[in-house]
Amino acid sequence: MRTYLIDSEKNEVVVDLTKTIIHSSDKVEFEFSSFVDSELVNKKSVIIRQLAGSYFYSENGVSWSKIAKQKLPKKILSIDRVFDVYRGYKPSGLAGGGEGALLTQMPGKIVKILVKEGDEVYKGQTLVILEAMKMENEIKCGVDGVVKSIHVKEGDALDSGILMLEVE
Amino acid sequence: MKTKRVLIANRGEIANRVARACRELGHTAIGFYTDNELNAQHLQYCDEWIHLKGSTNAETYLNMDAIIELAVQHKVDGIHPGYGFLSENGIFAEKLNKAGIVFIGPNVEAIKVMGDKATSKALAQKAGVPVVPGTSEAVPTIAEAIKVANEIGYPILLKAVAGGGGRGMRACYDEDEIKKQFEAVGRESLSAFGNGDLLVEKLILNPRHIEVQILADKKGNVFHFFERECSVQRRHQKIIEEAPSPFIGEDEELRRELCETAVRLAKAVNYDSAGTVEFIMGEDKSFYFLEMNTRIQVEHPITEEITGVDLIVCMIQSAFGEDLNIPSQEWITRSGHAIECRICAEDPITMLPSPGLVTGFETNFPQGVRFDHCLFKDLEVTPDFDPMVGKLVAKGIVRSVAIRKMRAALEGVYIEGLKTNIPLHKVIMNEETFIAGKYSTSYISEIAPQDKINTEVDFTSIYKKMAGIEAKRLGM
Repeated sequence: MRTYLIDSEKNEVVVDLTKTIIHSSDKVEFEFSSFVDSELVNKKSVIIRQLAGSYFYSENGVSWSKIAKQKLPKKILSIDRVFDVYRGYKPSGLAGGGEGALLTQMPGKIVKILVKEGDEVYKGQTLVILEAMKMENEIKCGVDGVVKSIHVKEGDALDSGILMLEVE
Repeated sequence: MKTKRVLIANRGEIANRVARACRELGHTAIGFYTDNELNAQHLQYCDEWIHLKGSTNAETYLNMDAIIELAVQHKVDGIHPGYGFLSENGIFAEKLNKAGIVFIGPNVEAIKVMGDKATSKALAQKAGVPVVPGTSEAVPTIAEAIKVANEIGYPILLKAVAGGGGRGMRACYDEDEIKKQFEAVGRESLSAFGNGDLLVEKLILNPRHIEVQILADKKGNVFHFFERECSVQRRHQKIIEEAPSPFIGEDEELRRELCETAVRLAKAVNYDSAGTVEFIMGEDKSFYFLEMNTRIQVEHPITEEITGVDLIVCMIQSAFGEDLNIPSQEWITRSGHAIECRICAEDPITMLPSPGLVTGFETNFPQGVRFDHCLFKDLEVTPDFDPMVGKLVAKGIVRSVAIRKMRAALEGVYIEGLKTNIPLHKVIMNEETFIAGKYSTSYISEIAPQDKINTEVDFTSIYKKMAGIEAKRLGM
């Protein structure tokens, strides 16, 4: 899953979540990379652990620091900059290539496919609902276009990184 | 002691603070919520919640008649105004008196005398309290200006009678400069303010802003609670305060003289509540009266931390004519050093307000830290109110320990979704002029700690935020 952080001057920070490993109900590991000049760099594995109701962050499983819990916010702050957050899609006028392919970001089960091949779709439209960790996740479209092909069907149990659907 | 019904005519952290003091005294704390702040966080400490209708400050916290009507309706015994809003409004205090409601603050006369620059200065002079030397009337000629300057000593400030906000002012270091500048400043002032009259005032170089906390009861007892230094300011608003003053330092004689001068002034105005006498102090440690704030101040916690006395509790006791439980001035002693950083929803570099939604909030503090705040997850900081969302206070046995604790405390405030001035405070707590305690009111403009803030977006901190968000998304 790719997340776009875009500030008011259209500066972009693009972060890819390339792997999710669920160790337990209180511990989850993510692998992030950032996208700079069409290259994935700064690859890093990080762990979030819930302890006594708070979230703690670690890069090595030994050193932990507290962070503030938050749901997917509309804005992320960095010192003096405010980024608008777009998870899974790039807002209109800013779209690049490569967002047409929808891959699973975590192991899960396809609950529902909301489109069929040949449908016209728009950026931000929910295409697939994937159940993972007992939660339904709406998988949204990254570009305006037409559904070219669907590679999965409802009820499929999928691993992480599986191509579900392509939009052109 | 009879239980009272106390209405808090304020919001934010100070409303919390007053409500907690009421709870300690066994009084019923009554809080307001307005249409633009239905989830007012301070209500959690209030026993009764009243809807103060409206969305603008004029309709709500500044609306004397609406507040008094609700107070009468809810059989309120006293109103605490907090700071800002109606806290220094003599007319409001007068109206409350007429309605038979206690104004938790000083008597009306004291508010009125101290609320006016000219009358307060005159009263100070009468009480033998030094004021900035200079003329109170316009100086008509260059010769006259030079004569005054020779009396009070250089450098002096040529100042437009009608001026303000730093405009229509010029510093002169000798006679020649007065000759050169006098007419020019006059012309400038005439075109800017429509009045070319000038005053001559002594220019205090690298001034320190030092203030003395006063607490008085209705029986004529006036106590001081030592001084605070509030020289770190931006746009004439304080952002960091500390007690005691590092500039006064170990000079106990100067400290005593300053504090006793403040008590003398408070007695001269028959002061009977919590208040603050503000002074400006020059490099030669001469001090001059600026003004008296007839309310509880934002920075009162640092005084509470070094003296151990709850000023808000005492203020409420005083207003109801009760004993303050302070046997004598000698019982008020200070120990240690306390620093306060005002946490504001603002850009740390431009220092301009930056409203927003708090999407996450956590703290993790060392010993000796107090955080008076109104933050919570989902708090929306709107442009309607002051951008200050909290006051972080650290106390240590000596100043360097307090700074160390403050550094750790600043690292332990996690606020998501809101720009705050925490990065600026972090720089200041590591900046050598501040650490040396040798800063003046021009600290922010001259030392410019804001320029030393590292604004580079670092991927680790972005990943940290993203990881938390993803974990939450997974339902953890």
